[in-house]
Amino acid sequence: MNHGFYLWMSYGATAIAMAVELAILLARRARAKRMIEEERDLEAQD
Amino acid sequence: MASTYFRYSSPASFYPAARRLAPWFGVAAAVLAVAGLAVGLVVAPTDAQQGDAYRIIFIHVPAAWMSMFIYLVMAFWSVLALGYNTRLSAMMAQALAPTGALMTFIALWTGAFWGRPTWGTYWAWDARMTSELVLLFLYFGFIALANAFEDPRRGDRAAALLALIGLVNLPIIYFSVHWWNTLHQGSTVKLTGTSMHVAMLTGMLLMAFAFWMYSIGAALTRVRSIILERERRARWARSL
Repeated sequence: MNHGFYLWMSYGATAIAMAVELAILLARRARAKRMIEEERDLEAQD
Repeated sequence: MASTYFRYSSPASFYPAARRLAPWFGVAAAVLAVAGLAVGLVVAPTDAQQGDAYRIIFIHVPAAWMSMFIYLVMAFWSVLALGYNTRLSAMMAQALAPTGALMTFIALWTGAFWGRPTWGTYWAWDARMTSELVLLFLYFGFIALANAFEDPRRGDRAAALLALIGLVNLPIIYFSVHWWNTLHQGSTVKLTGTSMHVAMLTGMLLMAFAFWMYSIGAALTRVRSIILERERRARWARSL
């Protein structure tokens, strides 16, 4: 019996889900860094 | 020892430590995953009854273990956050929750694709599957509560309380296959031993360690962002 479909759907979805989490982590990191830069700019204006 | 713990309980001290540690956990996860996949997909023999569909075990079981273990660790940090009002504890709990939800989703998803060829159905309202689904909703609830308040400290407390209440679900998940007559099979790997082929067990344990390392790496990376978001007005954060 060929179980390729079930294996691909499991391994493929796991890989995609982890890749999405890593992309979200990087995006959040970039946003956090931007927030720090904004704070620095505000401090410089004061 | 105690002084080291208290030093790293400060976000300012923990931030650089997390930055140094996170990549190493990422590398360990990648190496273990390559080894685990090689053993699981190439070396391990085909199962006599389930055929190759059983190879889903190499992601399903580690993800299910991690979904429960991460919740336990999240609850531990929540206890510290509630009991000692430590900022970093609440941040750690919130850094773990999305990865815990991801592991729970993977366990449910791969379980469905394992169930179809072996049981004939993607889903059944079986005690093990239903309690695992409740775990996913607990993670979603924790994340939603933590972000529902303008004052993050109020969100920390509300989410920590939910994490503690949800702890009751962990023994239900674990013992469900013993307490009820379930479609889901009982534990194959026990502290007393296993009936699994050594190559199958090796592949599964390697993947379990890979998922563990991945989860630590992801949580450390996320907690760094949370620290920056919350401490952005602190002098140390602006000087980074």
